Amino acid sequence: MSLAIPNGLDNSVERPGERAPLVLDDTTFHDITETVCQVAERKPNKAWVIGFLISFALLQWFGICILYLLYTGVGVWGNRSPVFWGWPIVNFVFWVGIGHAGTLISAILFLFRQDWRTGINRAAEAMTIFAVVCAGTFPGIHVGRAWLAFWLAPYPSLNLWMWPQFRSPLLWDVFAVSTYGTVSLLFWYMGMVPDLATFRDRSKNKWRRMAYGLLSLGWSGSSRHWMRYEKSYALLAAFAAPLVLSVHTIVSFDFAVSQVPGWHTTIFPPYFVAGAIFSGFAMVLTLMIPARTMLGLEKLITIRHLDNMCKIILATGSIVGLAYGTEFFIAWYGQVPEEKFAFLNRAFGPYWWAYWTMVSCNVISPQLFWFKKFRTTPWIIVIVSIFVNIGMWFERFVIVISSLSRDYLPSAWAYFSPTWVDWSMLIGSFGLFFTLFLLFCRLMPVINMAEVKWTLAKQHHMSHEDEH
Amino acid sequence: MSETNDKKVHGIAAEYTSVDTLMDACRRVRDAGYTKTDAFAPFAVHGIDKALGIKPTKLPWIVLVCGLTGTATGLLMQIWMNGIDYPYIISGKPFISLPAFIPVAFELTILFASFGAFFGMWALNGLPKFSNPVFTDPRFDRVTDDRFVLFIDSTDSRYDRAGVEKLLGDTGSEYITTVLEDDSPSKVPKFIFTTWIVVMALSIIPLLVVLKMRVTNSPLPRFHVFYDMDFSPSKDAQQSTTLFGDARAMRPDVPGTVARGQMDLNYQTGIDVEALAKIDSPRAAMLVRALDDAEAKEEAEAAAPAAATASVMETTPWLTDNPREISMETLQKGQEQFGIYCSVCHGMNGAGNGLVNRRAQKILAATWVPPSSLHQDSLYADKYPDGKLFNTISNGIRKMPGYAGQITTENRWAIVAYVRALQKSQNASIDLVPVAKRAAIEKRKAAVDKKLAEQAAAEKKAAEESAAKAAAEKKSST
Repeated sequence: MSLAIPNGLDNSVERPGERAPLVLDDTTFHDITETVCQVAERKPNKAWVIGFLISFALLQWFGICILYLLYTGVGVWGNRSPVFWGWPIVNFVFWVGIGHAGTLISAILFLFRQDWRTGINRAAEAMTIFAVVCAGTFPGIHVGRAWLAFWLAPYPSLNLWMWPQFRSPLLWDVFAVSTYGTVSLLFWYMGMVPDLATFRDRSKNKWRRMAYGLLSLGWSGSSRHWMRYEKSYALLAAFAAPLVLSVHTIVSFDFAVSQVPGWHTTIFPPYFVAGAIFSGFAMVLTLMIPARTMLGLEKLITIRHLDNMCKIILATGSIVGLAYGTEFFIAWYGQVPEEKFAFLNRAFGPYWWAYWTMVSCNVISPQLFWFKKFRTTPWIIVIVSIFVNIGMWFERFVIVISSLSRDYLPSAWAYFSPTWVDWSMLIGSFGLFFTLFLLFCRLMPVINMAEVKWTLAKQHHMSHEDEH
Repeated sequence: MSETNDKKVHGIAAEYTSVDTLMDACRRVRDAGYTKTDAFAPFAVHGIDKALGIKPTKLPWIVLVCGLTGTATGLLMQIWMNGIDYPYIISGKPFISLPAFIPVAFELTILFASFGAFFGMWALNGLPKFSNPVFTDPRFDRVTDDRFVLFIDSTDSRYDRAGVEKLLGDTGSEYITTVLEDDSPSKVPKFIFTTWIVVMALSIIPLLVVLKMRVTNSPLPRFHVFYDMDFSPSKDAQQSTTLFGDARAMRPDVPGTVARGQMDLNYQTGIDVEALAKIDSPRAAMLVRALDDAEAKEEAEAAAPAAATASVMETTPWLTDNPREISMETLQKGQEQFGIYCSVCHGMNGAGNGLVNRRAQKILAATWVPPSSLHQDSLYADKYPDGKLFNTISNGIRKMPGYAGQITTENRWAIVAYVRALQKSQNASIDLVPVAKRAAIEKRKAAVDKKLAEQAAAEKKAAEESAAKAAAEKKSST
């Protein structure tokens, strides 16, 4: 792959006093419609078909593993005393974290009026939904008797005659993750309705027209509708911003509220949130860079978008690195022997390999992004972002497994080893994620056309003003 | 064209190709006094609400109410469920622990407010609505692509077809059209209702079956989708199982297990275990296990031949001191226990002539091994340390069974103490007696000696008498 950027597509150069264009190459409104709609309208290309078949096979395997687990019991996992919170929780926290970039891009960057988000927010939101779906499966089946998972809901049960225990972070988690999933879904779907109306109006086929007609709810593009829609969008963004911070904070409470050395720390909420955004942006880049090439979206998802996301990765990656350092400092400064041991054990104990994988992937690899060359070279970005994903998975692994496997009593120590079901479910969850994402690429507008058109109009308007 | 004339006119629409021309047109239409107007655009055109004179939406108020409802629901729900209806103590927190209730209340606030923003927006927009007169014009399809449309409703008070067309014509529109009311049938076809009702009716059947099964009795076994732990394979102590290699359902202690309260091995065994560990560490390790494990003891004995056992008895580092505090009380306890368990064979004075022994001698029991006299030299403390004596009491020797089962460890040490006292008493010199008591002892000894002397004299006299008598009889007979 060459490092050269196609002519006219480099918008990463800073020109003082001038805003870089976010939509490239003298694009018109109609070009945007064509570019985005052709993704769903033309026949799928080979790469998509191969990718889909692989993901779908993995999804089947995931389903078989879940059935095997339900039939046999959670003993098929490697969770043994003392590591009862094993692999599934690692996967849960990992996937929840992945979801955060979507909401961050669509909500927080919206509130900060960062127009560059419009090119990537749709796919990022879709990623959020699918990541939450993946995340949700793990605690769902982790409860042991998964068919009774609805006992977590506060409903007047005729069997139990009792209520859930609201003083437990695990129950807060149920509310946080389900609220997060629901609000993200509403936000995502609402953002798509005008674009689905575009799909409806372009469809030649009767069934397509009917399906997109139903999904677009009769959207007509009326200004009154747009006005309420924008208000509603802003309100949802305003809710989603604190929501996204609260979700991972509450996930971190699952750990921080316990007494386990290495978990019982006040740094967890901010540290988890930063890590979640970090991993989420890495996943957005991992998905978007191949997608923009394969789907022909280079004019809308520009080098500048990638550049900006790399800067966020660099920032959050450094925050995460600082958090690792702070944890060590506090463990030493706090002088709790168990705490000190927990951290030395992480770095030099039996899981040293996981710890140093985590550090090299999360702290060292994003430092490449200090150099503009790396921030604007797609294949390097993909490699670094995959490293970050691996590192963030290992971060959760290190936190969950190393603390549990060696806590207070040496007599209760044990080494955790995953079983083949553990491995299969981790890989299978990627199958679920990619199947959903690839279907999304085929069936839904992958780029928020309405917002990109708005960005383009604003861009034209501004250049207009310059002429005056 | 008569058909077209029959249809009511919905309004007039003009098409534009750029935002700027649309905005200009909007302002002109607004200034001309039209209020029932609308603009259609592929994206949200900022400022168009002002240009058209659209009032701000009341959506934020709806959202506020929804959000507050969410907060109240979250708090009241938790207070009711965990504080009032089903209060239970969790790590000492109060029943109504507000700080712990904040996360859920927060999440529900967001959830309800988001529902308000989402559904409120659609409701205010009158959506979903799949039939719209403007959709009848195929050119309107491009509104979601790159065209902009300005529409004036025929119900507007200033509406006048010719005037509106002229006004719109002046705004630079290339395409002006009359939008007719959509007269396509608005009734939902009957078959959709029929299908819907049938599907609903069918889908309720499984639910009804489950409900019936829940409230009625049946002689048939319960239908299990998931077995849960309803049929867990529990075993009784003496049953066998295939789960373990040795087929025993009751599991023996794991090697190295030390039962609660048995940490002081010296006290339990009478052996200086630390010293033993130095010279014979496997046996020291075995001791820990053997304490409660008869099987292990048997194995150990089987492994070690009798001759070897003897030598082991010699080489074991027995405790030389009684670990129990020696007091009058201890000795009395030992005396009592000795009386109960030991005296039957060893005799009250430990000379080895208890009732059982006497009876065995009398009936000439063939396998009987007479109990040792506790006063023989080899059983004194210098040759037979306290620990070894304790071990003998505990585990037995020759014909003597182990008494560990009957006598508590504490009492066995008390017996050891008493035996030592007994041994001492049989060979005591007067020097050992406290000076104050010596006189009384001497006096008593003198009395006893005198009595013994008298007795001996009497016996001697009687013997002489009988001998004389016998001689006299002999003499007389001859």
